[in-house]
Amino acid sequence: MSTLFKLEKAKILSKSRIFDFLNLLKENFDSLIAPVRKGKYTVFSEIENVEDIVFEYTRTLLPPKKFILKYRRERFTYDAQTLEIEKQENLSKKQVIFGVHPCDLHGLTILDQIHLGEFPDPRYLEVRRNTVLIGLSCEPDEWCYCISTGTAFPDGANWDLFLTDIGDKYFVSIGSDKGDELVHLSDGLFEEVTEEDLNKFKEETAKKKHLFDYERLPDLERISQVIELEYESEVWKKEAERCLSCGTCTNTCPTCFCYTSVDIPSLDGKKVQRVEFITSCQYPYYSRVAGGHEFLEDRTARFRHRYYHKFVGYPYQIGKFGCVGCGRCSAFCPANISMVKTLKKLREGKKEKTNV
Amino acid sequence: MNKQLEKLFRLPTVEDPYQYKKVRIVDIEDLAPDHRMFTLKFTDERVSQNFDFVPGQFIMLTIPKAGEIPLSICSSPTRKGTIQITVRRTGRKTKYLYTLKEGDLLAVRGPYGNGFPMDLMKGNNVLIIAGGLGLAPLRSVIWYVLDKREDYKEVYLLYGTRNYRLVLYKEELERLRKRSDIKTLFALDRFESEEDRAWADYEGYLPGLISKVDLDPEKTYVTVCGPPIAYKFIGAELIKNGYHESKIFVSLERKMECGIGKCGHCQVGYKLTCVDGPVFPLWDTKNLPNMI
Ligand SMILES: Cc1cc2nc3c(=O)[nH]c(=O)nc-3n(C[C@H](O)[C@H](O)[C@H](O)COP(=O)(O)OP(=O)(O)OC[C@H]3O[C@@H](n4cnc5c(N)ncnc54)[C@H](O)[C@@H]3O)c2cc1C
Ligand code: SF4
Ligand code: SF4
Ligand code: FES
Repeated sequence: MSTLFKLEKAKILSKSRIFDFLNLLKENFDSLIAPVRKGKYTVFSEIENVEDIVFEYTRTLLPPKKFILKYRRERFTYDAQTLEIEKQENLSKKQVIFGVHPCDLHGLTILDQIHLGEFPDPRYLEVRRNTVLIGLSCEPDEWCYCISTGTAFPDGANWDLFLTDIGDKYFVSIGSDKGDELVHLSDGLFEEVTEEDLNKFKEETAKKKHLFDYERLPDLERISQVIELEYESEVWKKEAERCLSCGTCTNTCPTCFCYTSVDIPSLDGKKVQRVEFITSCQYPYYSRVAGGHEFLEDRTARFRHRYYHKFVGYPYQIGKFGCVGCGRCSAFCPANISMVKTLKKLREGKKEKTNV
Repeated sequence: MNKQLEKLFRLPTVEDPYQYKKVRIVDIEDLAPDHRMFTLKFTDERVSQNFDFVPGQFIMLTIPKAGEIPLSICSSPTRKGTIQITVRRTGRKTKYLYTLKEGDLLAVRGPYGNGFPMDLMKGNNVLIIAGGLGLAPLRSVIWYVLDKREDYKEVYLLYGTRNYRLVLYKEELERLRKRSDIKTLFALDRFESEEDRAWADYEGYLPGLISKVDLDPEKTYVTVCGPPIAYKFIGAELIKNGYHESKIFVSLERKMECGIGKCGHCQVGYKLTCVDGPVFPLWDTKNLPNMI
C-alpha cells in the first residue's frame, strides 16, 4: 500500500479496552471530563467513575468551551490602595476532555483563533495548553448541519486524538505530540492498524454524509452576501417577534465568546477582584452606552446581529463562519426559532423580490 | 502525570495584554459642568518616557473598585511625560472617578486602536471637525499638527457645542484663535446669552460651518469626532463641498469591555471598533451596516 496515509498517525483501540484507557487518563490528569447523562440531557462533566460516560449522544447542553473559557472567571485580583496585581499561581489543572464531536472541536479551534491571535490571552493559553482534547465520531440528528458548515469531520481543527467508531473497535487518529505520547503511555492498549481497519474507517467516514437529510440542510452558498443583501428584510422582524432575548442561543453556542468585565471589591474594601462573565448580544444592555443609547436598537437588530456576526463578521475576523452547525441554538431555543429556517426564509424572501 | 507527557505541557510566556500600568493623577481641571480633565503620570518613569501613541488612540482606564472604561487620550504624543484625558461624568464609573483627587492612583492599559492617519496626512491640509466632547481626541490631533507644523499645509479647526458654558479648553481655544498658523471657526447651537454671542463665530450646527472653509478639498484630509447623530450630516455636507470619502476620517464610539478584540461588544458591521477603529474612513461608515 502507498503511504498516502501515515499509519504511524493512527492506532486501533478495541472497545473492550476503552475503560482501561479512560482510567489511565483519569490517573494521569487532574481531571477527566466526558459526556454523561443528566435527566433528559447529555452534559460534559467531571468524571468520578468512567462507567458513567456515554459514548453515543448527539449534542451536550453546553459545549466543552465551559471548561476552557469558564462562564464566570477571575481575571485577577488587585489591591484597592496600591493597585498592585496579586501574583497568580499556575491555577489551571491538567485536564483531558473526552468524547468531543467534530463540530465542538472546530468550535474550540475558532475560540483558539480569537484568543490566541492578536493580543493573545495568556490565561486562555494556559488553560488550552493544559487541556487534551479527545474527539469522538458521531451521527447527526435533525438539528445538525455540520456537513454544510464544513465541520462534520475533525479535519482542520485542533485536537490530540480522534476516535472513529468502526464497529467493535475505535480507529484512533493522532493529531498532536500529546496525543502521540498518550498512545505510547498506554502501551499494550492500542493495536496497529490493519488493512481491514483502514477500509472500515474509510467506509464509516464516508457513510456520515449520507446520514443527513439534505432537504433540511441550509444552503450556505454566498450566505454572507445574502445576509447583507437582505439586511432590511422583514424576515428578521418576523422571527425576532418570537425571540425572548433569553440568550440560550449564545450561551449554548460553541463559538460565542462575548464577555463583560466587572470589578468586585471585597467586603472590607481592601481587595478588588476583576471578574469576567459570559454575556450575550441578545441582551438589551449588551450595546448600551452612557446616556442610554443602544447601538443594537431593538430586538430585531440584536436578533440579526447574531446571524450577521456568525456569517459575515467571523469570515472577516478569522476567515471562516462562526457557526459549526452543532444545532444547539435551534434545538434548545424555547421559542422554537431555527437558524436553518431563518436562513431559508431569507433566501426565499430574496427570490420573491427578484421575481417580481 | 507521566514525566514524558508533562514536558509537553510547558507554557510559552506571552505578554499579558490585560495587565495595566499604574498612573498618578498629577492635575485635575474642571473644563465645563461635568467635564473634567485629568493629567496622569506613570508611576514608573521609564514607562512615562516610552509611552507612545497616535492621536485618536484610546486607553482602558482602571478606576479602582469601579472598573475599566475606554477613554480617548486628549494630549499629544509630541508632549511626553504625562498623558491627559477629558472625562464626562455620565454614569457609575465616571462618577467614581470624579471623587478622586490629585495624587490618587489609577491604572492604564493601552494605547489601543488605530488612531488618525497622521503620516498619510502629511503634506496636506488638515480640517478638524469637532462636536462637543469629540474635541477631546481631536485636541491630540491639533497639538500634534501644530507641534509638527512644517509637515502639514493649512490647518483648520471647526468646533461646535451647545452653549458657551459647555465649551471645553476655553483658554486654549482663545490662544488658537489668535494664532496665525491655524484657522478656527466656532459654533454654538443657539445663542442663549450674551456670552454665547460674544464667543461664537456662528449660530447653528456644525455642518453649517463646512461651506465657510476655504481649503482645497483635493489637498485636504478631514478628521471628525462628535456625537454619532452628527456624522450623517457632517459627512453629507463634506461630500457636497467636494471632500473625498477616502480622505475623511471619523472616530466612532461603541461599548467596549476589553479594547483588544476579545469581548465582542464593539462590533460595527463586521469590524471591531477597538482593533479596526475607532477611526474609520467615511467610506466604511457608509458601507458597514449600523455604523452611524
Ligand atoms: C474609544 C472610546 C473613547 C472614549 N473617549 C472618551 C473620552 O475621551 N471622554 C469621555 O468622557 N468618554 C469617552 N468615552 C466614553 C466612556 O467610555 C463612557 O462614558 C464611560 O464608559 C461611561 O462609564 P460609566 O460607568 O460612567 O457610565 P455607565 O453608563 O454607568 O456605563 C455602564 C457601562 O457601559 C460602558 N459604557 C458606557 N458608555 C460607554 C461608551 N460611550 N463607550 C464605551 N463603553 C461605554 C462602560 O464600560 C460601563 O461599564 C469613550 C468611549 C470609547 C469607546
Ligand atoms: S450558531 Fe447555533 S448551530 Fe451554529 S455553532 Fe452556534 S449554537 Fe451551533
Ligand atoms: S456577538 Fe453574539 S453571536 Fe457573536 S460571539 Fe458575541 S454573543 Fe455570540
Ligand atoms: S472592546 Fe472588546 S472586542 Fe472591542
